[in-house]
Amino acid sequence: MRLDVVGKNLIRVDAYSKVTGKALYPQDIYIDGMAYGKTLRSEKPHAYIKVDTREAEKLEGIIKIFTYKDVPKNSHGVVFKDHEVFCEKKVRRIGDPIAFVVGESERVCELALKKIVVHYDELEGVFDPLLAMDENSPKVHESGNIMYHYKIRKGNIKEGFKNSHAIVENTYKTHMVDHAFLQPEAGVSFIDDKGRITIMVATQYPHYDREEVAANLNLPQDQIRIINTNVGGAFGGREDISLQTHLALAVYTLKIPVKVIYSREESFIAHSKRHSMIMKCKTGADKDGKLLAMKAVIIGDTGAYASWGTNVLRKAGVHITGPYYIPNVVVDSYAVYTNNPFAGAMRGFGVTQVPIAHEQQMDILAEELGMDPVSIRMINMFGKGSVTATGQVLTESVPLEECLEKVVEGMDFYHREEEAK
Amino acid sequence: MKDIKLNVNGKDYTLNVDENIKLLGLLRDELGLTGAKEGCGEGECGACTVIMDGETVNSCLVMAFQADGSNILTIEGLEQNGELHPIQQAFIDVGAVQCGYCTPGMIMSVKALLDKNTNPTREEIREGISGNLCRCTGYNKIVDAAELSIKYLEEGRR
Repeated sequence: MRLDVVGKNLIRVDAYSKVTGKALYPQDIYIDGMAYGKTLRSEKPHAYIKVDTREAEKLEGIIKIFTYKDVPKNSHGVVFKDHEVFCEKKVRRIGDPIAFVVGESERVCELALKKIVVHYDELEGVFDPLLAMDENSPKVHESGNIMYHYKIRKGNIKEGFKNSHAIVENTYKTHMVDHAFLQPEAGVSFIDDKGRITIMVATQYPHYDREEVAANLNLPQDQIRIINTNVGGAFGGREDISLQTHLALAVYTLKIPVKVIYSREESFIAHSKRHSMIMKCKTGADKDGKLLAMKAVIIGDTGAYASWGTNVLRKAGVHITGPYYIPNVVVDSYAVYTNNPFAGAMRGFGVTQVPIAHEQQMDILAEELGMDPVSIRMINMFGKGSVTATGQVLTESVPLEECLEKVVEGMDFYHREEEAK
Repeated sequence: MKDIKLNVNGKDYTLNVDENIKLLGLLRDELGLTGAKEGCGEGECGACTVIMDGETVNSCLVMAFQADGSNILTIEGLEQNGELHPIQQAFIDVGAVQCGYCTPGMIMSVKALLDKNTNPTREEIREGISGNLCRCTGYNKIVDAAELSIKYLEEGRR
């Protein structure tokens, strides 16, 4: 087999434009006669709202202020349509979009944001996912706070623990993380020469964006164009829609180009986060360190909206056993609504959090059994032909053993261990 | 409004600027030089780095009127007659560019460093780009690119 690309050092197609400053991000696009847009966002995590834009509309230079009343179909979301383009009755997190001001300059839009009166009728919020799972806790959405429950049942868990010589049980917690991509969200909208609504934006999903914008505006998809500019980092944080529908609505209604640039602060408030997780793990092994059973409960805080919570908690559940063969497994993972910032995709989609739990379980088990941390992994790890907890047979290359051997060698692991003693 | 004179990338400008405008806004919105980026607007990320009278500045922290009488070099001023500056070429050759949003600022910081110190150590390079955040690369490739730049610049001098 001849490989043209693999193993070769190739020059990126966009490298030249990026080292010369010619690469265009949405911030860099200027259109004659364009207006600017700014978003009014909730300052309360859980409240009924009433919005009065009349004073703000009187400001000179303000063209229009959009609210839920202006959106033909007000719901969106990558899996469940539980986000509103603009909140109608209730806000569920700090940062929920309430209104979109379009004006002749950024400065006048900022002034208008201050003149919009939002009356908040505050509701009790829920910020701890464990509390949120309680029936009597405040409900973020009508449907209840447990948004998703994923289960694995394999073998006989009771027998597995009964036959175990050592059992370790611990709870691990990871925190929320922001992607902090370097280019804050921005976009420009205009009507193209064929009359189509055109949005230039840095996005991970131009095709999803088109679908969602078309649905929100109640227009056929061929009336919407999403043009992806250069993307200044994303890491999952540009999977959910941010300003695309706001821009589309403005240009559709006003027929003038509109530009939006988020500040760093607004970017933090607006987009998703990595799920914080609580992982309760009980792992059992025989005298030789062979794993016999694992029981895990994972609770992921998906915040105010579902986003990719289903997929993230499913993947966390699938991977909580680590790269190890375990014959008896019970996993329950949950995505839970709270009034925290919403959580979605970020680098690893749930698989990044669970090694904190499964690898520490291995280390602690090894210590209990008087084994070294490498050996306990060597005798349990997946190889070609292994069956995972979900029943998947690994038929392709699984070079884990080789990998660990190289790490041990590269770290000079046993020598270091000796020195540490 | 205030009258200022400055030189940007070898070109003289006489401008009447709003007192509220920052140097970054002047470069981008008035002069159309959008290579310098705004990542934070408060001097933390370095995406807006330009060279002002030989020193790197966060152009988001310099008011436009403060640039009166100064010489400014931006990323757009590095390429000469269609030929990339050796630092730009090194960033391409090493693969130090990913999303690209930090790249112009990063290159300007490396330029300012190499203008003063023609043979910095890896540590000195890290120090030289310590005001520039990159979220993609993990920095190693950028330091590699700076080292390769030293070589390219030496070859150019010979």
